[in-house]
Amino acid sequence: MTLLASIDWQFLWEHRSEFVDGLENTLKVSAIGIAGAFGIGLVLGAARAHRIPVVSQLAAIYVELVRNTPLLVQVFLLFFGLPQAGIRLDSFGAAWIAVTIWGGAFNTENFRAGFEAVPARYREGAYALGFDPLRAFVNVTLPIGGRIALPSSINTYVSILKNTAILGPAISFPELTYQAYSLDSTYFKAVEIYVLLAVVYLVIVWTLSLAIRLLESRLALPGQT
Amino acid sequence: MNVLAFLPEWVEPVVRYMATEGLKGTAVIAAESVAASAVIGVLLGTLMTLDSRPLRGAIRLYIEIWRGLPLIVTIFVIFFVLPTAEIRFSAIQAAAVALSLWGSAQVAEATRGAVQSIPREQHEAASALGFGWLGRHVFVIVPQALRRLLPPMVSLLVNVIQNSTLAGLIGAVELLFAAKIQVERIAGPPPAGLAQVHAVEIYGGLMIVFFAISFPLTRLAAYLEKRLV
Repeated sequence: MTLLASIDWQFLWEHRSEFVDGLENTLKVSAIGIAGAFGIGLVLGAARAHRIPVVSQLAAIYVELVRNTPLLVQVFLLFFGLPQAGIRLDSFGAAWIAVTIWGGAFNTENFRAGFEAVPARYREGAYALGFDPLRAFVNVTLPIGGRIALPSSINTYVSILKNTAILGPAISFPELTYQAYSLDSTYFKAVEIYVLLAVVYLVIVWTLSLAIRLLESRLALPGQT
Repeated sequence: MNVLAFLPEWVEPVVRYMATEGLKGTAVIAAESVAASAVIGVLLGTLMTLDSRPLRGAIRLYIEIWRGLPLIVTIFVIFFVLPTAEIRFSAIQAAAVALSLWGSAQVAEATRGAVQSIPREQHEAASALGFGWLGRHVFVIVPQALRRLLPPMVSLLVNVIQNSTLAGLIGAVELLFAAKIQVERIAGPPPAGLAQVHAVEIYGGLMIVFFAISFPLTRLAAYLEKRLV
């Protein structure tokens, strides 16, 4: 209670635009990362599940490399390493590329597992009805396997959003956490700023988790709980 | 004999600094957080199987808060907010506390599942031998659940090692921050620096180091998962 009483609400209200700008950048990079991770996961997950030569092996290397190294090191390599090779990314470029590559690797695994969980006889049934492999994938494997992969892939999307929080402190991309950090370095209102920051993230993440559970039950395959 | 002798001259001091200062920071953070996560997580996870709604709700809240917050936000709260209440941590310790909160939430969730997966007969047999709730769990149920916790604990170790790099963002000298210090030193003017850019080699090399640590551990976790379940 004394904590609540000592909070300078006025300060937070005066600086709401900084938080809103940060939130916008967080959501923007998350949206790009989620869309990219969806595309990469779909294509490479299908290649992995159908064991398409060369692509499948390269995808496996990509997945293991990304999953077994810290995201922060990947970000540093993109932002501080690439200029050495003559490729200069601004902080926004490095930010969205980093979370897309990261999310794509995790999503490849999610989709691979989903597609592989589709019984082979479904696909064989499609072939018997005259579907070519691509049509069989789009009409049979994707709708069933995609729904099996849904919970784990949405978890990856939430992780992408949470991971954007390191981009500000790491490469000065002005997302929510960066905005909070720079406000605190100017005004020294750590309690107000970081408590609000934590609350905003919890509201987003908890709302998403709740939405996931609703979506899951709506999209669940008939006959499964 | 010495492999480093075949590499350019700038490599040796960089590797030495990272292997001593950097690796030490990472090892301290990882060891402390994994140990604390295991102890707190197993305790909370076991308590969660008790038939008490307020207790379960409180632990559920703990889990959802520390799993829901981005780790860097937890680190900032501990490093920047707690000092206003006269609670001060070094950068290394702040990161270790944040990782312990996050890790213990993961372990608690896994423990709850593992404890509940122990068949009812085990509880009944232990009760028949005169064990109370505490003795039953300490001597019979939890030891059996620990076996099933092994794969998630190995995964936790991998995640903690990788996430310990976030400590560098508040100035703790761990592997990544040590690498950054060296990249910036070499880029600087002589005598300390060489006025050269070696960011790709150093961060790329660090990536290989992390891969070499993590990959065998993730394989081990997958193997244990298959063997134990």
